[in-house]
Amino acid sequence: MMEKFDAIVVGAGLAGLASAYTLANEGMEVLVLERGDYPGAKNVTGGRLYVNPVRELFPDIWKKAPLERFIASEGVCMMAGERSVSINYAGNELLEEPYQSFSILRARFDRWLAKQAERKGAMLVDKSRVDDLIFEDGKVIGVRAAGDELHANVVIACDGVLSFIAEKAGLRRKVEAPNYAVGYKEIIELDPSQIEDRFGLEGNEGSARMYMGEVTKGKFGGGFLYTNKSSISLGIVIGIKDLMEEKPSIEAPVLLDEFKQRREIAGLIKGGETVEYSAHVIPEGGYKALNKLYGDGILVAGDAAGLAMNIGVTVRGMEYALASGYYAAQTVLQAKEKEDFSAAALSHYQTQMESSFILQDFKNFQEAPQVLENPRFFNHYPEMLGNIMKDIYEVPAGSKNRLYPTIKQYMAFSELWAMLGDMRKVMKI
Amino acid sequence: MNIVVAMKQIPDLQQIRIRNREPVLDAVPLTLGNIDKNALEAAVAFKESHGGKVTVLSAGSEDLEDTIKEALAAGADEAFLVLDDELDGADSEAIAGILGAALNRIEDKDLIIFGEGSGDNYSGQVGPRVAEILGIPLVTYASSIEINDKTAKVVRSLEDCEEIIELTLPAAVSVLAGINEPRIPSVTQILKAGKKPKEILEMDDLGLALAEKQVITLSNLAPESERKQILLKSADELVKALSSQSLIGR
Amino acid sequence: MSEAIGLKAKLGLDVFKHDKEAHIKIKDGMQKDPRLKRAILVCPAGLYSENEQGEVELTIDGCLECGTCLIACGTEVLEWHYPSGGTGVQFRFG
Repeated sequence: MMEKFDAIVVGAGLAGLASAYTLANEGMEVLVLERGDYPGAKNVTGGRLYVNPVRELFPDIWKKAPLERFIASEGVCMMAGERSVSINYAGNELLEEPYQSFSILRARFDRWLAKQAERKGAMLVDKSRVDDLIFEDGKVIGVRAAGDELHANVVIACDGVLSFIAEKAGLRRKVEAPNYAVGYKEIIELDPSQIEDRFGLEGNEGSARMYMGEVTKGKFGGGFLYTNKSSISLGIVIGIKDLMEEKPSIEAPVLLDEFKQRREIAGLIKGGETVEYSAHVIPEGGYKALNKLYGDGILVAGDAAGLAMNIGVTVRGMEYALASGYYAAQTVLQAKEKEDFSAAALSHYQTQMESSFILQDFKNFQEAPQVLENPRFFNHYPEMLGNIMKDIYEVPAGSKNRLYPTIKQYMAFSELWAMLGDMRKVMKI
Repeated sequence: MNIVVAMKQIPDLQQIRIRNREPVLDAVPLTLGNIDKNALEAAVAFKESHGGKVTVLSAGSEDLEDTIKEALAAGADEAFLVLDDELDGADSEAIAGILGAALNRIEDKDLIIFGEGSGDNYSGQVGPRVAEILGIPLVTYASSIEINDKTAKVVRSLEDCEEIIELTLPAAVSVLAGINEPRIPSVTQILKAGKKPKEILEMDDLGLALAEKQVITLSNLAPESERKQILLKSADELVKALSSQSLIGR
Repeated sequence: MSEAIGLKAKLGLDVFKHDKEAHIKIKDGMQKDPRLKRAILVCPAGLYSENEQGEVELTIDGCLECGTCLIACGTEVLEWHYPSGGTGVQFRFG
């Protein structure tokens, strides 16, 4: 008789490792299959992890987790063609433990988290791609990997944004470009002391910055910068639909090169050495684009379920992955008690997700994707703001205009009307 | 028929990057040498057709206990490991001494198979040294091995000829990469590998201490790269740039 | 052109392990499909290009497995799988 696992987890990302860790901690027989050379080898983030929502779900891991720097200063930069306006935020609460968020590099973090899950008793096999699901009477009973058949009570699909496993189980919504963005970035190595000097940081403090406007040529998206221990993560997130439309026609790699050459960025990365280039699709269609979370013998967690969210100033996904992995594991534990792994039994997962911060966030922000699609945010406002600041700061040879009329000239009735319209939409977020 | 295969734990060479001309070994995953995998495949293939047992023998850091699973998954029946964190990077003489001492503890050993050279240093010394320590015959550069009851017939591929050598067992053979195509173990085999027997020894158990290295690496630098990294927009610009450096059109 | 040089060098920094078969293929007869042209714009690794016959070509070496081309072009023009286990890009930082 072939060995049968309590659960087979497809993919050693945050969702998969969180569920394996939780299940193994309760003594379940759990197998994680990962196609990369090691957990994290295929995983990419911007990245920043917000710990608060998931701290209590994994109380033992945060103390030793290999996170990079805690974020002590936040910045937003509105980038116009020839100028930019930045707002930086620093607050004492950001300096207090427990810290709210950390920069993170996934190859390092995921390998470590996998070790913790293995120590709890989870089995991990890397370099192993799951090719197919095995069905019996319409119910998922296992997976096929490189010709091998492996059986389990429940398969947890944590195979990322493209989730071929959820698709094979018929749980995946039709793919539509507007529901996805692509993020791509460089890791630029710098001495820790240089990073601290350039960003005004001390010790393990870190900085996070967002860039809107010219960085994506007015297309839906933005640039990001995070400081790690001894490197900077610098990249772009951009809507795939906007990117594939030819107005203006611009190739994705060119955007990043031009972003790097902006003087707002060039000085920060000067002398740094790029050591990696990576890219990943991000699901950001929000609540309406989520995939079905469960079926007979199968659960879906993390990006595979569509659990990432863009609310303009932040793109979040990793907390949702960790927490959904945790709830998937709780559901398997409950199903195991009753020895019932049917869709009806596994629907408990949906209930738990609904009452957790995950689906509450997704409901709260369900209007965000439509509101943020507005090209005026990525084109018009950065330019206008830049121009207003230019006029305010300009001292001409002759007499200088009064400030109020200077600003007022940008605020024609039609502009105010359009702004009001945008405001009303933004209020839905 | 019992075959012992000696394998070396090495960093995954493709994962090593160069910083300030020095290799960065931090967090680089460990694996077994490529040619060592050929040696194992030769042993496992023989076992499958003729029966017998395959023991994998290795000396290295504590991580080896995990790394060796790869060999157990690919068909070795048991592992015989000497663990000491000082052992990764030890020189050929030290490793041969340890493997020799360990082999003296393994009673049945008809054939000992080595890879021709390790994946990292490729000194090709450990096999010959171990054969000398054990006082058994050795054939290197093997491209095929045929085993009979008390003898083995080995084809030795040299640059300009092939030698066919018959030797009496027990013997040692070091194989070339071309001898076979190592198998990729299945998930089930990998899972079963964790349950296969492992005998783990420390240096003390063998009555050995790591001697001072006879060979000391003074420096190991990547070649200096002086790439100018000039970006050019057209072939004309390229021609101008090259001729301005007197690299063409002299 | 200058960008292409920079991009090749950038991809050269990543670890790639060779797979026996290309994991993404342009489906037969789809080389001139307008949907495929989107891949030229969206691929962060710049692996798609148009030749003189107006056909889109794909160089699989350097694929970051991000999936952007799959989302943009769809499965009618692309045959898309992940590379087999232990092959393809292996991120060291991620």
